[in-house]
Amino acid sequence: MDEEPSSYERVAYKNDSVYHYMKICLIFGNERKPLSAEQFKQLIISGLKELYGEVGAAFPFDVLTFDQFVLSAILRVYNNGLVKLWSALTLIGSCENESCAFRVTQVSPFLLALSGNSREMEVQ
Amino acid sequence: MVRIKYRYLLCEVCVSERSGLQMLAERPIYDALRAALGKAHGAHGAALLSVGSSVTYVNAYTGVVLLRFRKAHYRLLWSALPFVTSIWSRGQKVPCFFNCVHIGGTIRTCQKFLVRYSRQQLCRMLPHCKTEAEKQEVRRAVLSCSLNKFREEEEDNDFGEDGEETEA
Repeated sequence: MDEEPSSYERVAYKNDSVYHYMKICLIFGNERKPLSAEQFKQLIISGLKELYGEVGAAFPFDVLTFDQFVLSAILRVYNNGLVKLWSALTLIGSCENESCAFRVTQVSPFLLALSGNSREMEVQ
Repeated sequence: MVRIKYRYLLCEVCVSERSGLQMLAERPIYDALRAALGKAHGAHGAALLSVGSSVTYVNAYTGVVLLRFRKAHYRLLWSALPFVTSIWSRGQKVPCFFNCVHIGGTIRTCQKFLVRYSRQQLCRMLPHCKTEAEKQEVRRAVLSCSLNKFREEEEDNDFGEDGEETEA
């Protein structure tokens, strides 16, 4: 096969993505039974409602994947709502009278970036 | 040069019966605003209200309220005004509605607008007058609308008030 030297082309994206993707994990103080995806989303909405009111709770975000045993999820939110969502997640302290906390592992404007994580990467 | 900038919202309070207007006071209006903000914009909105906002002027006879907000976040606080449905004053609940007519950077510009606006309202009231004496009163009030040193406020016809601006 003929291989020609590929021409070098540089493409620069200036924040091309409309969304931001967050990989988060919910941690409880005590052991409890797993949550469903709907309850998980309802918990985040209640946190948004407490901090930003009805207007804030109406802001659209999506739960793309959810693992109900590990309680980790990937959220998708519009760019202008990232700060509100992240601050509301930080301030959620309890779920049905049980203390819990959200850990935000990764945030990226591109979904592909969430597939790799240098913290958990094992180098052979 | 370096000063804190405010936005003054000139609002007209619309109540269903006139006796409710007597209940207007600064504190009940502020509490009603904070409750509406807490519902609409949550803890963030209620906290923004506590920074540099106040009810500057309340006129119980004409139902004019002047609210002061910081310039940085006055739009968010303005958006919560339609959510105020009633005011609790002296143990009574007065259903009311805030109608924002003007936003000014200083109290003086709001006053100038209020004089012009009151004159238009008086002219609109003229066809509704029932007796000739009331019509004379209204005409006199319209001609004398101005920012003067000190003028007494007078009630002229059934529909109540004239809009003369009083300056203390």
